[in-house]
Amino acid sequence: MDAGKFLAGAGLRIATIAGQLLVVSIVIFVVLRLIPTDPLAMMIPANATRDEAESIRAAFGFNRPIYEQYLMWLGHALQGDLGNGIQAREPVTRLIKTALPLTLELAFLGLLTGVVLGALLGILTFRARGTRLERVGEAVASLAQSIPEFLWGIAFVLIFGLALSLLPFIGPMNSAYIVPRQTGFLIIDTLLAGRLDAFADHLKHMIMPVAALAMMKIAMVMRVLRSSLVEVYLDEYVNAARLRGVSETAILFRHALRNAAIPTVTLIGVQAAQTFGGTLLIEAIYSLPGLGNLMIVAIRTNDLPLIQGICLTYCAIVLLVNSLVDLSYFWLNPRLRRQ
Amino acid sequence: MTDEAGDRIPLLRAAGLTVRMGDIEVLRDIDFSLRRGDILGIIGESGAGKSMIGRVIADQLPDGFSVTSGMLRFGALDLIGMPPKDHRRLLGREIAFIPQEPMMALNPSMTIGSHFEEHLAHLGHTPSTMRRKTIEALSDVRIAAPEHVYDQYPFQLSGGMCQRVLIALAFISNPDLVIADEPTASLDVTSQGHIIGLLRRMQQKHGTAVLFITHQLALAGQICTEVAVLYAGEVVERGATKAVFTAPQHPYTIALKAAAPLLDGEWTPLASLRGHMPGLKEYRTLDGCRFAPRCATASDACRQATVPLRQKSDHLARCLYDDAEARVEFPEGAARASLGQSKGELLRLDSVSKTFFRSGWFSRKPGVNALRNVSLEIAAGEFVGIVGESGSGKSTLGRLAMGLEDATNGTILLDGKPLGRSEDEWERRIAAIQLVFQDPRAALNPRRRVVDLATQAIQPRMMRADARRARAETLLRSTGLPTDMLDKVSAEMSGGQRQRVSIARALCNAPRLLIADEVTSGLDVSVQAQILNLLLNIRKEYGIALMMISHDLAVVRYLCSRVVVMWKGEIVETGLTEEVFRNPQHRYTRELISAIPPDDMNQPWLPLLEFAKAS
Repeated sequence: MDAGKFLAGAGLRIATIAGQLLVVSIVIFVVLRLIPTDPLAMMIPANATRDEAESIRAAFGFNRPIYEQYLMWLGHALQGDLGNGIQAREPVTRLIKTALPLTLELAFLGLLTGVVLGALLGILTFRARGTRLERVGEAVASLAQSIPEFLWGIAFVLIFGLALSLLPFIGPMNSAYIVPRQTGFLIIDTLLAGRLDAFADHLKHMIMPVAALAMMKIAMVMRVLRSSLVEVYLDEYVNAARLRGVSETAILFRHALRNAAIPTVTLIGVQAAQTFGGTLLIEAIYSLPGLGNLMIVAIRTNDLPLIQGICLTYCAIVLLVNSLVDLSYFWLNPRLRRQ
Repeated sequence: MTDEAGDRIPLLRAAGLTVRMGDIEVLRDIDFSLRRGDILGIIGESGAGKSMIGRVIADQLPDGFSVTSGMLRFGALDLIGMPPKDHRRLLGREIAFIPQEPMMALNPSMTIGSHFEEHLAHLGHTPSTMRRKTIEALSDVRIAAPEHVYDQYPFQLSGGMCQRVLIALAFISNPDLVIADEPTASLDVTSQGHIIGLLRRMQQKHGTAVLFITHQLALAGQICTEVAVLYAGEVVERGATKAVFTAPQHPYTIALKAAAPLLDGEWTPLASLRGHMPGLKEYRTLDGCRFAPRCATASDACRQATVPLRQKSDHLARCLYDDAEARVEFPEGAARASLGQSKGELLRLDSVSKTFFRSGWFSRKPGVNALRNVSLEIAAGEFVGIVGESGSGKSTLGRLAMGLEDATNGTILLDGKPLGRSEDEWERRIAAIQLVFQDPRAALNPRRRVVDLATQAIQPRMMRADARRARAETLLRSTGLPTDMLDKVSAEMSGGQRQRVSIARALCNAPRLLIADEVTSGLDVSVQAQILNLLLNIRKEYGIALMMISHDLAVVRYLCSRVVVMWKGEIVETGLTEEVFRNPQHRYTRELISAIPPDDMNQPWLPLLEFAKAS
């Protein structure tokens, strides 16, 4: 595939994402304006006169028709300004920027754990096909898959946090550690500051939330990879490779795995998008100041600009992840590359 | 290349080889030997156990199958007793395989080059010489642009090209033995000629011994030094190719020969073998000769104990009698569809074209021109053959006539009136025309019983169940099926029986035209003969017309008075079958005919001659 075509494809993709974000922003805007709450109710002093209340409303633009409000918001948004939080009284972008890294880190680690462990277990149970180990693996996997993430989260807190006191479960890091913020990602900042003790403490705090987020993914990846390996092994080229004297290990890793990975990658794509939804409750359970907790606060206080901003951020992340998954197909499947 | 000793000692020898699955003898008492530089043909229909022999040699028997007695020697090595690790080391080095479906046998996510790199690394070559060696090997199998093909993926190549690549891959280690398992079964007839010619040239160049597994007698006759005919897991006849083919001794071999339609010579009715080859489970009940149920001569002696291979004139056959005959049947009132006597036009296609579009975001771009300006008439009661290779548009033509696709241009007329798309027109169409599909297993609903399947066309009518059953019974009788099959489902039937049910279903409403799309291509020769004779009988009984779409010229010659040759979506030649085949005018028709291995093994076959000249 030549570079020009690739750039054209990438350009089209970015334009599509921009269009999708625009549509989503309209939906979010309209829906939020339609719910019967008064975002300013808490701001307006109880003894304010009707005129005073109206002037506060006017200051925020809430007295104009919805489409005007939207266009105003859009005009600002295109300049990178998502407005100020009504309660937080801080720019929405800054609030999101502070909270986002932790959520990304949590989701990434959860997904990574799920994929790596799931793939390992998938290969393991595949190699053990026909034995008791495979059936045990399958039974455990279907159990793991049927328990939702937040239940895992609570169970881990109860078992490893409270009963056994093995792991910390409040916040992202012991507050005794103070590390300068550079990237916003604690896992990187602690290393940049050369504080290995803080790094270790942060990891310790992340073990349970990451595990809770990963449980379902491990099970799913394992099952899908195993069954696509079974399917790929029925293909004639596997047998043909065997007849050329290729070893079973080489057949698995060189011939089968790459072809079997395609359905698994599709699954990971769907899972990646869902992971961000999953972080919301996990952050709440483990008191992690990420996007999820910010969202909960925003909803509780009817902070419309903040809710809007966070929704849009979630949306952008999901669209971006989907594009990355599509891109990985091109790498995996030469048939797509040549079209 | 061959030394004195190598000439006398067989390279591969099997004696009394028996493979069991539980208490079933899947392969029984297999004997054969293959000398260095020779080609041994293993001939048999599907289910005879041909591929199982390859699996034994590769030590790749399916779970539950094992060799229980007999021996298999490769040179001085005992292939049965040797450790699996050592056995595996032989594969790809001394023993190489050429697979059945070339498109499937290459990894879709690896380039052609990386297949070679992997194999050469396995053989111990250094990376620096790999590319040069691969290019050499690819040019050796007549791939025109090897540098280009090196970086291509399997799906970018045709089936014939993939098979060339696989042949190059097989011969690159200069093996002593190559096992070719139906290497051309999934290829078009013109590629078949090229591939077989190539295989033969490579075999001669390297002095390799080849085990050639096939179901095509004519093909085996052209290239094999010796043949072994396999039936239900037993070698029923073996010897020098010429001896076996000129004077077959076993009734099965005789029947197989008589069941294959011929491409030239006098038209003779095909003798179709009654019944079908037993399945694995039926082996249990067959203590003696496994062919006995289909043999007219079989006695109690045949049924009670296994029959050994016996010397008959100049070769071996597994039969107690010298003049045994199979139970065969001929078409009633042996007659081919009489020559092009039109009894009035039934269906007419008037400059019909079909273009498949690729749909983009904003536009439809013309993609494949499946049919270009095709005009064709079929008279009432006429049998017309449509021949051509894959991609010639012949199936599209059938689907258009049936109304499964719409023509882009042109009109289709039934009884002189154009066929439209309205509900009424559709009723008129399906009352007159019916289609029989290529794969009966896919075309029959696996959950419905034969009685419902066969009478599907009259299902919407108010009808008493017993009347419907009676109709189904008549249909089964017309298609030569026992009426106790009425309550069976598709899974309980053999391939030939399924195709009969499929034909019975098409006949239910007494249509005037049957469109048969490759209806025998998935069937074995002996079963194919049954279906072909059935179609002739139906013509007699129903006076039906037939549009026979087939890649097999001999099948078309057997059935059809008129033939239409298609190439790249166009009709390139049409006329009376005999005349077209005897004196083809278009270059493509000539190519098509010369690509078919001649029925008489003494006749030269063009693709082999060309390769002999070239090397």
